[in-house]
Amino acid sequence: MSYKPDEATLVAYLYGELDIAEQRLVADYLLHHPDEKKRVEEWSTARTILSELPDKEVIAPPVILGEPKSIPLWKERYVRMSLGIAASMVFFLVAARLLGLSASYVPGELKIGFGVVQKAVPPSPALTKQEVDEMIRTSLEGNNSALQASWSEDRKALEQSVQKNLRSNTVRIDQLMQTASLANQDQVKQFVGQLQTDNLKLMKDYMQLSTAGQKEYIENLLVDFSSYLAEQRKQDLQLLQARVNKVEKNTDQFKQETEEILTSLITNTSTNNQRRN
Amino acid sequence: MMHSDVLLLQAREGDRHAQGKLMQVWYKRIYNFSYKFFYDHDMAMEVSQRTFISMHRNIAFLQDGARFKSWLYTIAVNCCREELRKRKSERSVSLHDLNPGEAEDSYHWEASGIRAENPERVFRQSELSELLHDCLLQLSVEQREVVIMKEYEGLKFREIAEALNISENTVKSRMYYGLEALKRIFEKKKITKESLGYEL
Repeated sequence: MSYKPDEATLVAYLYGELDIAEQRLVADYLLHHPDEKKRVEEWSTARTILSELPDKEVIAPPVILGEPKSIPLWKERYVRMSLGIAASMVFFLVAARLLGLSASYVPGELKIGFGVVQKAVPPSPALTKQEVDEMIRTSLEGNNSALQASWSEDRKALEQSVQKNLRSNTVRIDQLMQTASLANQDQVKQFVGQLQTDNLKLMKDYMQLSTAGQKEYIENLLVDFSSYLAEQRKQDLQLLQARVNKVEKNTDQFKQETEEILTSLITNTSTNNQRRN
Repeated sequence: MMHSDVLLLQAREGDRHAQGKLMQVWYKRIYNFSYKFFYDHDMAMEVSQRTFISMHRNIAFLQDGARFKSWLYTIAVNCCREELRKRKSERSVSLHDLNPGEAEDSYHWEASGIRAENPERVFRQSELSELLHDCLLQLSVEQREVVIMKEYEGLKFREIAEALNISENTVKSRMYYGLEALKRIFEKKKITKESLGYEL
C-alpha cells in the first residue's frame, strides 16, 4: 500500500473535512498503521479535553446606532482634492508672476530663473596656436634673462663676503700665535713641579687611610679568634667532665653488680654446705 | 451560527436596526473568541466593541454575503492582534488579573450564572476552565487563533483560511502543530480524559 497521507490530510480527516473517497483511503491507511492511528486518537483526546472549556455567557450591550451624517458636497473627498490642486496652481502662477519666474528650453539646456534674465556676453575670439607659442616663448626669454642677472649679482656678493671673512680670520690667528709664544720655560717647570707635589700628597693620604683600616681589621680578627678558642676550650672541658662522670657512674654500677653476684654465690655455697651436712 | 440572509442584506443596505440585530446574534461568538484568545474579560469586551464598530462602518462594502462569517472573524483577529501589540508595548496589568475570581464583584463571579448549582462542582469547573485557558495561552498566537476558530467557533478550514488570509494547507499545518503542542502540554500538566471525569 503506497498511499501515505500527509499531516494536513490527517488533520482534515480528524475534523471530517475530507471527501468520502479520501476519507476511506485514510481510514484504510490508519487500519494498517497503528502508530499513525494512535497519533490521531491522541489528537482526538486533546479535542475532547478542549471541549470541556465552555463558552462564557455574555449579554450584548445595548447599541444605539445613529443615522449617518450627510456629508456636504464641499467636504466630499474628490471635491476637496480638486480644490486643493486648483489652489496649488493659482498659488504657483501668482508666485511665478511676483518673482518673475522665467523658464526656457533649447535642446540640451533647460534654464529656470527669477527676475530679469541677462543676456549672455558673447565670448571674445580665441587665440591662434602661433600666438600662444609666441607668448610662451617671450615669457620664457624674459624669465631667463632676469634669472641670469640675478645669479651674476649673487655670485659677486658671495665672493666679496668670502674674501672679507678670510682676511679677518688670518689676523685673529696671528694674534693668538704671538700670545702663545710669550710663555717662558720657568713657567712650564713651575707647573710640572706643582703637579708632582699634588700627586705625592694624594698618594700619602691614601696609604695612611689604607694602613689604619688594615690595622683595625687585624685587631678585630685576633679578638674574634681568641674568643673562639676560649669557647672551644670551655666546651671541651664540659665534654670531658661529662665523660668522666659517666665512667664514674658505670664503675659504681659495676661494683654494685659484683657485690650482688658475690653475695649470691656466698649464699648459695652456704646453703649447699648446710644440705650436705 | 444562525443568521438570516435577509438580515444581512438589510444590514449591508444600511438598515441600522438590522445591523443592531446582527450584532446581538454574533456578539457572544466574538466575545468568546476574544476571551479565549486573551483570557481577559476587559480585553475581550474591548475587542468585541471594536469589531462591531468596524462591522457597522464597513458592512456596506462587503461584496459577498456568504463570506460574512470569515469577514467578521478577520476583523476580530485584527483587533486581537492590535490589542496584543498594545498590551506588549504598554506592559500594563489588569486589576482583575491580580486576583481573578475571588473578589465579590469579580466578573468570574458575576458571569458564573450557575450559582444555584453545587458549589463544589462550580468550583471544580472554574478551576478546569482556568487550567484549559492556561494551556491555550501557552500556544503561539498563530496556533491559538486557528485552534480557537476550529475547536470553539466551528469554522471550516476554508473559512479560517479566508479569515486569516492564508492558504488552507497553512491552516491545517498550524492546526497540526497546535494539536501536537496541546498534547504535550496536557501530558506535562497530567490532564487526561480520566482525570477530567474525576474532576467533573
